[in-house]
Amino acid sequence: MNTNSNIYTVIYTTVIVVVVAALLAFVSQSLKGKQDANEKAETISQMLTAAQYGTKAELDKLGNTAKLEKYAQEIEKALVIDMQGNVVRELEGIEVYGPKELKRQNYNIKGGTNQTGEAELPVFIFRNGNTVVPVYGAGLWGPIWGYLAFETGTATISGAYFDHESETAGLGSRIKDDPAFQQQFIGEQADFSSANVFEIVKGGAPVGEDGKSLKDNKIDAISGATMTSQGLDAAIDTWLGAYAKYFTKSEE
Amino acid sequence: MNAKLKETILNPIFKGNPITVLVLGICSSLAVTVTLKGALVMALSVIVVTGISSLILSLLRNTIPGRVRIIVQLVVVAMMVILVDQILKSFEATYAIDKQLSVYIGLIITNCIVMGRIEAFALGNKPIPSLLDGLANGVGYGMILLIVAFFRELLGSGTLFGLRVLPAGYIPNNLVILPPFALILLGCIIWVQRACDKDLQEK
Repeated sequence: MNTNSNIYTVIYTTVIVVVVAALLAFVSQSLKGKQDANEKAETISQMLTAAQYGTKAELDKLGNTAKLEKYAQEIEKALVIDMQGNVVRELEGIEVYGPKELKRQNYNIKGGTNQTGEAELPVFIFRNGNTVVPVYGAGLWGPIWGYLAFETGTATISGAYFDHESETAGLGSRIKDDPAFQQQFIGEQADFSSANVFEIVKGGAPVGEDGKSLKDNKIDAISGATMTSQGLDAAIDTWLGAYAKYFTKSEE
Repeated sequence: MNAKLKETILNPIFKGNPITVLVLGICSSLAVTVTLKGALVMALSVIVVTGISSLILSLLRNTIPGRVRIIVQLVVVAMMVILVDQILKSFEATYAIDKQLSVYIGLIITNCIVMGRIEAFALGNKPIPSLLDGLANGVGYGMILLIVAFFRELLGSGTLFGLRVLPAGYIPNNLVILPPFALILLGCIIWVQRACDKDLQEK
């Protein structure tokens, strides 16, 4: 048989591509449940980290089931609000907002052609007095997202955890890997009256007389990761802007 | 076991080691050797991908049209890489490591070892020797990865497989964590190997 004829080549490549595609589709479908469960546990451990239930490494030592149990134990109330700050519904059971869902809501906040409806913004109120809200946006190479914790009923940030898909290792990836960067958020005040709710400042945030960063709404950006820092700044502004009415209401 | 088969298995591990002798797959060996755990998962993934891709392509070798053979190879290797990635994502124990290795699992497809062995060996040999050749090259790669990761985790974090071995007073050396140090270590390994093996020395 002539394996170099055009017809043979076309049929051969078609068959092999169809077979491989079918196999991969089947595997992807059959493993989806397990992968989603892992992602959900990961999201929960990120939220618990932001809410100061331990460091990410400590929480990761718990298994998936333990993470879910801890969340069920510690959550006081989980709400969905709209951009006017009104409660739309309560989240039942263990329902969390991972990156895929946040992406959809990010379009809804910003409006435009990808909007699928009204923005549904989750609020997670934990028993230790922390309220966790998510943020989502674009980094340098791909999406970045994270969870900010506030002292319930105030604009004081009490914790933060960020994750990314493909930021540069050692530079942009420090939003996730560098606990010192996340520590900077603690004690800072979000300014819900302004469009710049929070700022990540290139060249250094203002410091007080003691040489420490002021407890304002500004922290230091990451050296060598200007684009990731700016992306995170924009993500926080967009999302906290959407939550502004909820936070200013609960302060009154 | 006949001599030729033995040669097929042992050559990629020592005399024809893909990293230290052929100098292939350097990029990923810099990136994934910060911890032993990461290096081990990466090594196993590469072993599976090189072994099974070589086997499949060796089985197909007489039917593949010559003009599109690289494309057919790519399709098969890509399929194996995606399968490995999907499986790592599905298990609780490997999910965190998959996240840590992030793009590097996907980039196994661009690892020159895989395509190199398929072109050079699997397309011209029977399935069983091809499988062994693929596996052995993966082992040769993984072995170097583990040696590099051993020193980088020990000196860079004071731990082995996440367990503390150096006393708490040890201050981790940050240079060891950074990718350039993997190159320095690789250089040392190549130096030692060439010093021991006269055949590898260039005049």
